[in-house]
Amino acid sequence: MRTRPMWRTLVLLLTLAMIVAACDSGESVDVEDSDTTTTAPPGSDTTSPGATETTTEQTTPEDDEMVLIAAQGAEPDRLDPHLTSAYASFQVLENVYDTLVQPGPDLQMEPALAESWEISDDNLTWTFTLRDGVTFHNGRDFTAEDVVYSYNRIMDPDVAAANAFRFASIEEVVAVDDRTVEINLSRPTPNLLVNIGAFKGMAIVPQEIVDDGSIDSAPVGTGPFRFVSQSPDQGIVLEANPDYWRADEGLPHLDGIRFVQIPDATVKLTNLQTGEVHWIDGVPPQDLESLEGDSDVVIQRVPGGDYHYFALNQAREPFDNPDVRRAIAMAIDRDVITEAAQFGAATPNQTAIPASNFWATDYAPFTPGDTEGAAALLEEAGVSDLTIEFMVSSEFPETVTQAQVIASQLAEIGVTVEISDVDFGTWLDRQGQGDFDAFMLSWVGNIDPDDFYYAQHHTDGTFNFQGYSNPEVDALLDDARVETDQDARKALYDEAARLIVDDASYTFLYNPENVQAWSPQVEGYEVRGDNAIRFVDTQLAG
Amino acid sequence: MTGFVIRRIGQMAIALFGVSIVVFALIHFVPGDPVRIALGTRFDPEIYEALRERAGLNDPILIQYGNWLLAAIQGDLGVSFRSGQPVTGIVLQRLPATMTLAGAALVIALAVSLPLGILSAIRSGSKLDYLATTASQVGVSVPDFWAGIMYILVFSLTLSWLPPSGYTQLSNDPLGWLSHLVLPAFTVGLISGSILFRFVRSAVLEALNQDYVRTARAKGLSQMRVIRDHVLPNAWIPIVTVVGLQLGFLLGGVVVVELIFAWPGLGRLALLAVEDRDFTVLQGTVLYIAFIFLLINLIVDIIYGWLDPRIRYD
Repeated sequence: MRTRPMWRTLVLLLTLAMIVAACDSGESVDVEDSDTTTTAPPGSDTTSPGATETTTEQTTPEDDEMVLIAAQGAEPDRLDPHLTSAYASFQVLENVYDTLVQPGPDLQMEPALAESWEISDDNLTWTFTLRDGVTFHNGRDFTAEDVVYSYNRIMDPDVAAANAFRFASIEEVVAVDDRTVEINLSRPTPNLLVNIGAFKGMAIVPQEIVDDGSIDSAPVGTGPFRFVSQSPDQGIVLEANPDYWRADEGLPHLDGIRFVQIPDATVKLTNLQTGEVHWIDGVPPQDLESLEGDSDVVIQRVPGGDYHYFALNQAREPFDNPDVRRAIAMAIDRDVITEAAQFGAATPNQTAIPASNFWATDYAPFTPGDTEGAAALLEEAGVSDLTIEFMVSSEFPETVTQAQVIASQLAEIGVTVEISDVDFGTWLDRQGQGDFDAFMLSWVGNIDPDDFYYAQHHTDGTFNFQGYSNPEVDALLDDARVETDQDARKALYDEAARLIVDDASYTFLYNPENVQAWSPQVEGYEVRGDNAIRFVDTQLAG
Repeated sequence: MTGFVIRRIGQMAIALFGVSIVVFALIHFVPGDPVRIALGTRFDPEIYEALRERAGLNDPILIQYGNWLLAAIQGDLGVSFRSGQPVTGIVLQRLPATMTLAGAALVIALAVSLPLGILSAIRSGSKLDYLATTASQVGVSVPDFWAGIMYILVFSLTLSWLPPSGYTQLSNDPLGWLSHLVLPAFTVGLISGSILFRFVRSAVLEALNQDYVRTARAKGLSQMRVIRDHVLPNAWIPIVTVVGLQLGFLLGGVVVVELIFAWPGLGRLALLAVEDRDFTVLQGTVLYIAFIFLLINLIVDIIYGWLDPRIRYD
């Protein structure tokens, strides 16, 4: 009797542990069967029988040879293109949905679901002719009513779509007939195509998946790949859409894509090196050099449209004085900052828009690291013993590195930088409440100059948390918004950009390169300037 | 015994209620706003207000908590602000991965710590004891993220024996399940094992120094029987306590290890929920973890009574 407890306990503990470990299969079956699973539900009434079958199958396209496994660093939050603003979600949705127009390889807007468009003489009516024979993944035909529905949904204040602001000048969207959509504007909108097509946040969605609530868990679009399932172990599984509107060109080439989420950048890279995944959405800048010449990894770097900057709180003294802001902009050396933060995978820039963009303004008034000029300006302004608290977030580690470099550079003109590293939720909170001396971040994914300047530097701009106000800049930005002549519009933005740089509303630092890496097996994939992830032309060799 | 269990379950309900208040208060007093985080740089004051209103974030804080509590009592843990999905489903989806890792890590921890701990205590001061104690010291001190990365570099990148990260379901692919499990399970298991080892060793050592052990030896019992009949039965209580605590801790999700190995468990879920201030998901996750912890404590208490006839619950 006395010996039993020991063995019983030992056996009990081990069995308990093993049961817990083995619970795995049983548990997951429950989850698959419950209505909380995010596997695509059977299609709606309008669904063709053919489309329903594929969604009820439990196999993943993994068994086929041409399934690309793509690793993303962040987890998509939700799959409703109108409600998400997470880049990780758009990496997936880019391949599922279409917009009326989309940015081409040079980021000029090109036809997608719309074949062509006409603009009325008063620039207030745009008429789009839609592509014929396009069907949604559930088998239903795509018509003008879907465009009207999708745009009205984005504009509906109750929906609170993140991109509603892009539709601010749209008064009405009308379906003239099945193939024709008319957009009526309250003011000329030269960048309308960018507003409705820059990325998949303005995607055309079928009403039925909104009505039945499945849009967040089982998106249905018109794009090259259709959604199969999402689960913690498989990630997000997509399969080729055989009825894609470019199917006659043999697209898409792949049989499917599986998006897996690997948060740690080093582990993500290791997964590529060991062949577990085919493609990764970024490479740690410090690893770029060591990977050169590695035959197992293809790395492509292209100039991107993003930019890094910092802003000083103009509601606080002495940052309300433009000379003080200018002095700080003069004292820093962007080359050193860029090298330290991005290991050279970036181009220093004193304005926001990269040189590769048509709208770039060639303007660089500050000599790098002009500490003498900066010190003189500060003295003139009567400022000494200045301390700046730089608000950064290690969720964006480069901002921390940059702040450290800037701190050492500003020390040379007697300015003390205190770095305050907070989590991004706190960062946004303090930014919104104006509780900061300086904040540092980047803007991503902009194409049109209105996106680069209006929200950030117009007095009424929604993102003008630094409190910049220059009536001259306001007038230029307002005029440029409605200027339909491209060259005249560019001239307006050039002037506004110079003023913004001179006033140091933001202090622009650099444009990072877009860096992605993939296995040599992957063919036909190109890194894009807007960082959109498009696998429509991609193939997997042997 | 039944009365004891019923009483304990009542206490658990009160404890869970307390936990829910603490989580609610914490996430509301910490700076950060789920709507601002969700909108990020696409910030627009009108959209911001509309989203706050719809999520009920403009209601007084007590009303918000009351609404949540009323639904929770009826089994509805709400909807994630971040993903728009029901919280119960999100937590259940992550549960298998967490249980797998916790179970496997505990198997490894026990397999390492029990034999080594007992042997070290019996041969206290020997070379084996010295080596094992040093190894456990290393195991406790090495940070899990560093150990995890090192295992990946050695066993995946260099030796190509195991996949660096990810998780597969046992039912889908048993071999894949095992190969993905090995590295994270060893990362966590060896650390847990090091902690357990120290408790096993000291518990056995203490029992060895008792008078009844000397008596047993004086009676001429063999070393094996002394250990089996007199030492271990008395050492079990502290060991089971620590094993229970470790299992509770493991079932709560191991945040850093889950992050490194892209393991879709509860720790990663909780981290995302904190980053996004996704209150309902955090609340659901923490309540689940608290529940597991309390449940394991209850089981441990029941085991006490079974191991030691002197402990009785009436």
